[in-house]
Amino acid sequence: MKSFTRNLMVGAALSMAALASAPSFAGESKTSPILGITSSSLEEFGGPDGVRAWVESLFYYIMLDNRIAPIFREFGNVERQTFLNTQLEIMVLGGPNEYQGASMSAAHADLGITMPQFNAVVEAAYNACERNVIPYHTCNQLINALAPFTRDIVTR
Amino acid sequence: MKGSKGSGARWVKGAVFAALSMVSSHSWAGIYDDGKVFLTGGVFTVDGGGGGGAVPWATITGYETRDGINGGAGFTYVSLPNYTLNFLGASVGFFDRFELSYMNTKLSTNLGNVDTVALAASLLNLDKNLGLDPNGSNLHMETYGAKIRLFGDAVYTSDSFLPQTAIGAYYKVNSTKEFVTTLSADKAKDYEIYAAFTKVFFRYSTLVNLTVRYTSANQIGLTGFGSCEANHTNCNNDKEFRMEFSTAYLLQKNFAIGGEWQQHGNQQKHRPVDTGDLLSTTSANGATDLVHGVVGNVVGGVIGATALSQSLTQNESDWYDVFFAYAPNKNYSLVFAYLFLGDIAVAHEQNGLYFALHATF
Repeated sequence: MKSFTRNLMVGAALSMAALASAPSFAGESKTSPILGITSSSLEEFGGPDGVRAWVESLFYYIMLDNRIAPIFREFGNVERQTFLNTQLEIMVLGGPNEYQGASMSAAHADLGITMPQFNAVVEAAYNACERNVIPYHTCNQLINALAPFTRDIVTR
Repeated sequence: MKGSKGSGARWVKGAVFAALSMVSSHSWAGIYDDGKVFLTGGVFTVDGGGGGGAVPWATITGYETRDGINGGAGFTYVSLPNYTLNFLGASVGFFDRFELSYMNTKLSTNLGNVDTVALAASLLNLDKNLGLDPNGSNLHMETYGAKIRLFGDAVYTSDSFLPQTAIGAYYKVNSTKEFVTTLSADKAKDYEIYAAFTKVFFRYSTLVNLTVRYTSANQIGLTGFGSCEANHTNCNNDKEFRMEFSTAYLLQKNFAIGGEWQQHGNQQKHRPVDTGDLLSTTSANGATDLVHGVVGNVVGGVIGATALSQSLTQNESDWYDVFFAYAPNKNYSLVFAYLFLGDIAVAHEQNGLYFALHATF
């Protein structure tokens, strides 16, 4: 009984420490592009609502692409993906870190994503920017911030 | 030895085209790959490999990723005041790691002074073959290239300054040996090696490339390698390191503008066009043969009166260009450029237009 209480206290202390360092739900952290991204990137995307609209366009183009649509149809709940991706993109564009999903490596570990499949999503990302009238240079800030995830996502 | 070299060249050419026909064949659907992002394989350089216009980049040609093979064929046309150049070639990239390339280059001259020399040489039945044609002389060169990516990544590692780094080599065979000898070059065929460093800075939508080439080429080898004093004496073909810089600013995902600088040597500077005795008026006047005596006097008179030999001194400049590249889709790209090539052999201020079409499969 005594040891149980002690374990409980240690556990509580540990989770307090975890809370202090980062939100307990944050499974991924901001990338650090060498030259940074322009500080107005999130604003140029139209703020959080603009990012949400962009992510919706992203999945629209992803689901139109036969090279990658089956993966998302099989493994991803598009509605949940849209929600999580919006949080992720807001974070990497310099907004608050409210991302509730798993880390990029954990989320993609078992999918065996190839380079051509990854690049197909990049193409969808640029198409989404065009569809949402986000300037190419602003779009590149997002690409800049997401590019380092390549090594976590592409496992084959 | 000569024969074995020739067959080696044929073998490389055969391999390139065999590989090309493989990637375009549907039976190779498993290995065929066009998954690379727009323009990140570079376009079609004048040496045949992937890169900018003149500068090879560390990127591997074609739209393949590390999972497959891709390649293409290209044509480049350059129009300069005194020269016209045609480039026809092909290149294949393997697994975004290795590339092979072949380029066939023809340079046609439109040089009154050289034509005059050619005419004089043919009138005098000169023993020495100058490799010149009174109706316009041509230079012809074939370039075989290979490049391997060593480490680093130009595109995806935006959180690291480590550039994509590749090394490559070209073997250039100039088949107009007599002409390049007349232009005082030491050798008509030679190799060159290079290291290229490429990085895309998404923050500024800009690609930057630096290349160091170890070479003794005159005008990328079109006018041979190294140089000699008159009558092919005191030849020197020492290679040196030369810098090349290339940058491209992306206005759209498939449209880039940019510029290049390529350092050139100047080994043929002030070297006369080596015509043997042709341009020394004493020899022309001193011809004892009756017919040649008459013709020789006329030719000698023309040469003296027009200061022809003075107009035949050579010079070489660094190359500069500004370009825009457009890839409407992954099957072809177009490059328009304006070249500032400076002095080429005996002609000065060779600035002109460049057009390249690169079809990828």
